[in-house]
Amino acid sequence: MSFNADTLTRPPVDIKTQQEIEQFYYREAWLLDNIEYEKWLALLDDDLHYFMPLRRNRVKITRNIANMPPEFSNDQEFAHFDDDITNMRGRIRKLQSDYSWSENPASRTRHAISNVMILKNEEPNLYEVSSAFIVYRNRLERQVDIFAGERRDLIRRSDHAYGFKIVKRTILLDQSTILSNNLSIFF
Amino acid sequence: MNREPKKEQHTHRHDWSVKEVKSLINDETGTLDARIYSNQALYELELKHVFARSWLLLGHETHIPNPGDYLTTYMGEDPVIVVRQKDDSIRVFLNQCRHRGMRLARDDAGNAKAFVCTYHGWAHDIAGNLVDVPYEEQAHCDRLNKTQWSPLQARVATYKGLIFANWDAEAPELIDYLSDSLPYIDAMFDRSEAGTEVIGGIQKWVIPCNWKFAAEQFCSDMYHAGTMSHLSGVIAGLPEEMELSDAEIPTKGNQFRAKWGGHGTGYFVDEPGIMHAIVGPKVTDYFTKGPAAEAASKRLGSDMLGQRMLGQHMTIFPTCSFLPGINTIRTWHPRGPDEVEVWLFVVVPKDAPEEIKAELRNQNIRTFSAGGVFEQDDGENWIEIQKVLKGHMAGKVQLNAQMGLGQSTHENPNYPGRVGDVYSEDAARGFYTHWMRMMTEPSWDTLKPE
Repeated sequence: MSFNADTLTRPPVDIKTQQEIEQFYYREAWLLDNIEYEKWLALLDDDLHYFMPLRRNRVKITRNIANMPPEFSNDQEFAHFDDDITNMRGRIRKLQSDYSWSENPASRTRHAISNVMILKNEEPNLYEVSSAFIVYRNRLERQVDIFAGERRDLIRRSDHAYGFKIVKRTILLDQSTILSNNLSIFF
Repeated sequence: MNREPKKEQHTHRHDWSVKEVKSLINDETGTLDARIYSNQALYELELKHVFARSWLLLGHETHIPNPGDYLTTYMGEDPVIVVRQKDDSIRVFLNQCRHRGMRLARDDAGNAKAFVCTYHGWAHDIAGNLVDVPYEEQAHCDRLNKTQWSPLQARVATYKGLIFANWDAEAPELIDYLSDSLPYIDAMFDRSEAGTEVIGGIQKWVIPCNWKFAAEQFCSDMYHAGTMSHLSGVIAGLPEEMELSDAEIPTKGNQFRAKWGGHGTGYFVDEPGIMHAIVGPKVTDYFTKGPAAEAASKRLGSDMLGQRMLGQHMTIFPTCSFLPGINTIRTWHPRGPDEVEVWLFVVVPKDAPEEIKAELRNQNIRTFSAGGVFEQDDGENWIEIQKVLKGHMAGKVQLNAQMGLGQSTHENPNYPGRVGDVYSEDAARGFYTHWMRMMTEPSWDTLKPE
């Protein structure tokens, strides 16, 4: 993923593309908040990589920066999520069963998506997108969890009704210790 | 988040007598008093009598391979630093400067040449000795006895890669503390000369429930896995064409209760259904068939231990739990009677093929993690129990822990120790009985294993 202070100096994409992709994200969020898991699954590419690394607390020591343990876990280390489409289909199947106790009753969520920034990829119809999220979750009587973070996606245009498919999503959560009893929702 | 604002403490605080604490657990009748899970005064007694005297899991040797490598973790609610020394030994000391109490290492892990307090600059070597104090002559007039003012050191011991520590100088050695549970631990950690190594990264999350629900479940509760809790976890891993009714959930196996110490384990025998559902057939086959599995059996002394315990759960009292064959390991850090912090890491056999290591990593993330398709539902049970316990009536009921009462024997031909059916609560009764003893016997003279 090529989001950094330098690539962000590229001019924004045209307004039409910006709107199309933002709308896609809002519609994706609506599907999740309305428990339309099957329809959300259909937005995910067969080559899906859905990845949420662990995030660690590090103290910066400028003279020793090269040897600092990285803040985010890599693909050899443990992670919060590291799913391909098969895993994801399994998750949806779990959610659709009557026995998924952690989501039955279902959580009430609100995915607030913003800060949508788009970089065009060399390949036509492929876009790298960064977006910020605040996800409010409320469940059962009084449980409240609030999550915030960034998603860095690779999406491609598709003749799917929603216009795009998510190929790669990397979720950078703004927590080290997860301040919730589980991660039973999607970001 | 996800809990209500803290309520005012009730002014009448229960002072627990030894007699009262003893009455909370009954090993003969198989009953538990619900107050063990929610009472604040009991929790404070636990910090003193259980957590300050037991061997607590801190991590794995491969977390800190090189001198100066450290990780920060907890013993109960005490933050500690675990550091590899130049002579390859490990030191564990309180993460607290003795000047004014500031946390010395504020990050999760790294490599240090020294630990320098960011408050006033008191410097400590990697063994935790105070070695330098700024303006020592001017401010302390060379009076300061630096040995006296170093952070508290804990006793350290390792077993097959696992690092434990204990604050209590009188507690038995780790090897004696583990009692007769060694064969069941070795089934995961001693399958080959090479042993195990960690997959990097420790996942941490907060569950608003008492630590004992988690520790007991991993000690003694196959019942929840074979019945209701993980049905949807199994579904998540089924091939598309299979239905839940096609999945062969095992029913036959054993449970072991340590003769001393509160440790316990349970496992299915020969039926691989739950292993397949969690780690998949490739990893299941690696641990049950072929040269690596056969070599493990040879090393462990029998194929019953090396290849035929499937879907095993285990807890080393109080808070070290793991699932052999799946290879998730966790420490349950208590955070008050109503909260636990889970710190999880995974180990792989050092000499396993890369493909198996990768598969173990992927399946663990998929099934046993904060977002794991199995683990999500465990959290659901425990948080609901904890909320219900706030009730005046609900908070002091007797709970039933009677499964397998009187059924365990020492006569199992294949498995050593006190063994009963896999669907039993004998190990739980052992866990709670030992808890009750730690809470009521101040001296190791009576407490120690024979």
